[in-house]
Amino acid sequence: MIKVEISGLHKSFGDNEILKGIDCNIETGEVVCVIGPSGSGKSTFLRCINCLEQPTSGTIKVDGHVMDENAKNIDELREDVGMVFQQFNLFPHLSVLNNITIAPILRKKMGKEEAERTARDLLARVGLADKADAMPRSLSGGQKQRVAIARALAMKPGLMLFDEPTSALDPEMVGEVLDVMRQLAEEGMTMVCVTHEMGFARQVADRVLFIDGGVIAEEGTPNEIFGNPQSERLQGFLNAVAEA
Amino acid sequence: MSFFELLSQSLPLLMQGLSLTLELAAVSLAIAMVLGIIASLMGMSKNPVFRAINRAFVAIIRGTPLLVQGFFIYFGITGVLGVRMSAFTAGVIALSLNAGGYMSEIFRGGIQAVDPGQTEAARSLGLSKSQTTWRIVIPQAIRICIPSVVNQWCITIKDTSIISVLGFAELTKIGQQIIARTFRSFEVWIMVGILYFVVIYLLTVLAHVVERKVSLD
Repeated sequence: MIKVEISGLHKSFGDNEILKGIDCNIETGEVVCVIGPSGSGKSTFLRCINCLEQPTSGTIKVDGHVMDENAKNIDELREDVGMVFQQFNLFPHLSVLNNITIAPILRKKMGKEEAERTARDLLARVGLADKADAMPRSLSGGQKQRVAIARALAMKPGLMLFDEPTSALDPEMVGEVLDVMRQLAEEGMTMVCVTHEMGFARQVADRVLFIDGGVIAEEGTPNEIFGNPQSERLQGFLNAVAEA
Repeated sequence: MSFFELLSQSLPLLMQGLSLTLELAAVSLAIAMVLGIIASLMGMSKNPVFRAINRAFVAIIRGTPLLVQGFFIYFGITGVLGVRMSAFTAGVIALSLNAGGYMSEIFRGGIQAVDPGQTEAARSLGLSKSQTTWRIVIPQAIRICIPSVVNQWCITIKDTSIISVLGFAELTKIGQQIIARTFRSFEVWIMVGILYFVVIYLLTVLAHVVERKVSLD
């Protein structure tokens, strides 16, 4: 079953065309990792999926619904698309628990008690059961990002977007976040991850997209992309990453 | 007359003046806060007419002296419209418009200083625009604004002394009256100065406590 249907996606900022025509379908339960050089349009591609960026042209459908910033039901459509950001973007004025419960209470009209019970379950899942009452400022980067994942999951989304979720982390915290993502993938979550963690992409992805210059320059299974890259650009990129 | 005689004679009068000063400042600042919020929302509105109104308002307030604004309201407007207005009312209008203009910019700055990532995170969870504004952005903007708002409060409290020329007996005016009787400029201005200082010092201490209490760092 197709979860996300992207066709003819273009996005420009002023005269600067970032995405130059992307067509791509994502199946339900599929884990897609997006790799590519910085400035290639990976993040913009991801942000178009939940309409944080409005496409200049082309359409994006999630479960058959067109994602459009000006659509009346855009808030409801976004409820089904969780997003995790590079900079975590936890709400600093709310406790960890309230970060997680605010959306279910406001959007799903969930009772406070039920929302808190769900939130505590989610915190246990990401290994932070003891941090429910902490404020975000007291958490490490890795803990913040796990809370951010729990916050997104609280809306029971059918699709999760990860925008370089480990890029702002100290190296020793990358693993704990990737573990949570790996677990999520194993549970069958549909995921699109923009990442620089090639090991993670190789291990967890069903499919890897190599975006370069605003188009999908190459795509395939991790084995195809990492084991047998076709284009020179992808070979060059993988070499550059391997040297780093 | 010894200093202490002067003090014991003057203090009751000065305290009366101070209470009028505080009344004037409190009423004006309360109105200015509401005005500032409305004006800042207009300044950030999608509607270009609202934005233009806000820009003109802020430009006029910033571009003209408070004293001129006060005279214009008390003598200019009342003359043209043929209405009567107490000096206190005119003072409140002038001070609240004046402080409201500056508050408008403070609030706008505070709201725009909230990390755009906060709005993105809230919208990505499905929160509506207004839920995002009131639950996520405003609570953080308020914290950012506190120091500047307190600063404006201090300025407005002291600006009541300027507006006293419209003719009501707040602290500075009472000081002048006492000096006219006693010719003790040096001591009386020190007393007046200390009273302003104490009020503002207490306010800033209180603000500091609040600021620390709600701090997110």
